[in-house]
Amino acid sequence: MAHQAHAYHMVDPSPWPLTGAIAALLMTSGLAVWFHFHSTTLMTLGLILLLLTMHQWWRDIIREGTFQGHHTPPVQKGLRYGMILFITSEVFFFLGFFWAFYHSSLAPTPELGGCWPPTGITPLDPFEVPLLNTAVLLASGVTVTWTHHSIMEGERKQAIQSLTLTILLGLYFTALQAMEYYEAPFTIADGVYGSTFFVATGFHGLHVIIGSTFLAVCLLRQIQYHFTSEHHFGFEAAAWYWHFVDVVWLFLYVSIYWWGS
Amino acid sequence: MFRHFLTLQQVSRRQISSTVRRQLVNKVPDKQKLFQEANGMPVHLKGGVSDAVLYRATMGLTVLGTAYVIYELVKAALPQKKG
Repeated sequence: MAHQAHAYHMVDPSPWPLTGAIAALLMTSGLAVWFHFHSTTLMTLGLILLLLTMHQWWRDIIREGTFQGHHTPPVQKGLRYGMILFITSEVFFFLGFFWAFYHSSLAPTPELGGCWPPTGITPLDPFEVPLLNTAVLLASGVTVTWTHHSIMEGERKQAIQSLTLTILLGLYFTALQAMEYYEAPFTIADGVYGSTFFVATGFHGLHVIIGSTFLAVCLLRQIQYHFTSEHHFGFEAAAWYWHFVDVVWLFLYVSIYWWGS
Repeated sequence: MFRHFLTLQQVSRRQISSTVRRQLVNKVPDKQKLFQEANGMPVHLKGGVSDAVLYRATMGLTVLGTAYVIYELVKAALPQKKG
């Protein structure tokens, strides 16, 4: 039987890049079809295909790493670079929305009343639910660090408990934010204030949901003994992503909620 | 998967004892044996029949979706005039 003379991972041929690309095509074309012809079939089909692709692709990565042993130290180093580069790209994504916010709020036009918040806008009190949300996410940053140390020290029960707590805090944030959205005295259609507020916080909320899902997958994997005290990169990637989500919130809170009121 | 959430409750509550009814047993060694078997199967099909079912469903949707999107785009590009 042939064995490779290097520590790198030569992946098996996989259909998921193709199905993922088609999913992207279906979602984008489906969006256009929805806008012009009021049918959501194509877009929905694209979303289903995306979910199927993500499930099977990441399932295969778990198989390759945890069950087949392909994630040697050099391979893991590559995965680390990959996650760091991805999070960096997300930082730039949010930078754009912060740029838009500061562009409009540092020099408010006469149409807005020459002031920020614009005339007629009642901003949310930054010391009410937004402050609670800040505490919730900061606490979740502590609990996820607790999880990491528990995993490294082989404390299985503590890792499960602290990771569960982290996810619950993430869900609590989402629920609080959803309630705030419902109760807010302004909407996305309320000029540039509404646009910058809901697009920036909305994309952040989406990232909280993505991060919570990633952590939930890690919880299931921890329960199923996938992680060892030396090798648990999937969890580390989820924890990095979670800290990134937390930091973005801190910038949102200080800029839009606090300074912007 | 629901079984795992129930086990989550149990595992996080009590310590290991002889009266434990449903402690989740470590199945990783079995999975390692399954996925390291030298049967030439690619990793996306190596888990068994359910892999093949899910793959076929996904690829089926991919092919249908591709055909449907081409149809919709051609239809959108060549509007039929009303009679």
